[in-house]
Amino acid sequence: MRTLAVETSDLGKRYGKVWALQNCSIEVPTGRVCGLVGANGAGKTTLLRMLAGLNRPTTGRALIAGREPADDPEFLREIGYLAQEVPLYRRWNAADHLALGAHMNPSWDAELTVDRLRSLGIPLDRPVESLSGGMRAQVALALALGKRPRLLLLDEPVAALDPLARHEFLASLAAAVADGGVTVLMSSHLLPDLERVCDHLVLIADARPVICGDIEHLLDTHKLLTAPTRDTTAIEREHHVITKTRTPREVSLTVELTGPVIDPAWRIDDLRLEEIVLAYLGQHAASARAVMEGVR
Amino acid sequence: MNWLLWRQHRSQVFVTVVATVLFAVAVLLTGVHMAHIYKSSLAACTANGTCNLVGNLFSGYGAIIDLVHLSIALPVVLGTFVGATLVAREREHATNVLVWTQTVTRRRWLYSKIAAVLAGTVIASAVVSALVTWWSNTPNALDGNRFEGAQFDTQNVLPIALAIFAVALGIAAGCILRRTLPALATTVGAYVGVRLLVSVYLRPHYLKPITRSFPLNGDVSVPSGSWTLKERLVDAAGKATNGRIPIPASCGPIPDKGGAEKCLGRLGFHQVVTYQPPSHYWPFQWIESGLFVGLAAVLITVAVVYTLRRDA
Repeated sequence: MRTLAVETSDLGKRYGKVWALQNCSIEVPTGRVCGLVGANGAGKTTLLRMLAGLNRPTTGRALIAGREPADDPEFLREIGYLAQEVPLYRRWNAADHLALGAHMNPSWDAELTVDRLRSLGIPLDRPVESLSGGMRAQVALALALGKRPRLLLLDEPVAALDPLARHEFLASLAAAVADGGVTVLMSSHLLPDLERVCDHLVLIADARPVICGDIEHLLDTHKLLTAPTRDTTAIEREHHVITKTRTPREVSLTVELTGPVIDPAWRIDDLRLEEIVLAYLGQHAASARAVMEGVR
Repeated sequence: MNWLLWRQHRSQVFVTVVATVLFAVAVLLTGVHMAHIYKSSLAACTANGTCNLVGNLFSGYGAIIDLVHLSIALPVVLGTFVGATLVAREREHATNVLVWTQTVTRRRWLYSKIAAVLAGTVIASAVVSALVTWWSNTPNALDGNRFEGAQFDTQNVLPIALAIFAVALGIAAGCILRRTLPALATTVGAYVGVRLLVSVYLRPHYLKPITRSFPLNGDVSVPSGSWTLKERLVDAAGKATNGRIPIPASCGPIPDKGGAEKCLGRLGFHQVVTYQPPSHYWPFQWIESGLFVGLAAVLITVAVVYTLRRDA
């Protein structure tokens, strides 16, 4: 049996009367780099905070490597968390933060973190408030990586960075997680940020997950079917039709295939990931626009 | 965790130590000098048989007297700068999230922080209180009683309990409000409010006061150092008057004030004084200290429950 790094069942969180996340049942296998995509306010931060044990679920439960989040060192050692606001002690320098990591984590990898920041050219002796946003994000990432967690939860790690810093951050993250069975769950409100580094995708819209799965598998099973005007009931019975567009001359369907398409009249085309995401977000027009912003 | 505590609070420790040392130097120097003045004046006037030292014995010492009286503000200073900032500043900058995702539990983090800060508070306030208590030996000898205001709150055990209370109040305000400035303001306001309520409405009633009657024209002589709560002029039936008694015609012509008092005394008017004797000083110190330590325990419990049960 595959072990799951993250497994949630019917996870939900309500703040006052508003559900920030509802009916969230997702699975992320160990070793994956999983993108968590959704418009601002879709519930990504709430999900990550519940997985990190910072917030308590209103309904359902989450399991991290089979363990429920708790105020317990056995759980805390498993996770590395980087919050959206990149919280650091402003007057401390990077070396102070690494010392904090060393004193508060039994499995701390001092060499890795120092080498990492040095190789990225980040000064260890300057207060972090005088560093650029990209450098601060690297200090915070080093702190999260240094405790050698099995699950790395990153909340919008590149949101505040300029394109070059984004690229560098993601490249360094990819390098850091390439060796060793760490699983990454990383959120962004922009799909293109995540496409390059992720092999798994969770899409959230209006506080509910709409896609959760391996990206290769998503690309293999989601196709665009086009045919001259034609009855679609057979297809709709066999497969899962996500969108249907009719013009006077032809009909085109975005479909999640459950098997081979038997009718040869349909032309089958591949879809790009953003087209699949867009199809799913069809009924969430505002979310779709937000998530696609920046797609070429 | 100890590393974090020291790294975060070392500047507060440094400031507190420096300020306490400076205060100690000033208090020790002037204290020795004032004791000397007091003793030599007492010896001189005893020899003359004309002792009335209350006058201007310590004129020229106004600055140090004010400084010592200012130690009444120590609890609120600790409560705001040490207590209110303890958790509020972390929450304001979200650094609690950073710490709570290290391999140290939220529980241990919170307990260690509160314990460290309360230990520091006890040490600092105990040292200051000891200095003030020692220094106040001579001024106290000149003052009426030690139950009120600056003396009761700054000497012996009560200042330590007040400091614990103020810091606990600051911690609780910071945990609940999660922002430094509102927590500071709440701490100051609530501390001053509770302080006044307790000293005005509760303190006089910790133990049953003594009530004694005195003749109208005699001296009201309660034991030296007593805290006089009430002085009333009552008639023969024991009914309180408003202090303005029409002279009854039966007194005849009244030559002077003394004559009027004599006549009213014959008619049964007398003075009734209610006071707390000096022997109640220590029980009062312990009762009020216990009250504030109890309040502090409640506040700490609220802060802990609030921080551990709620979302980050």
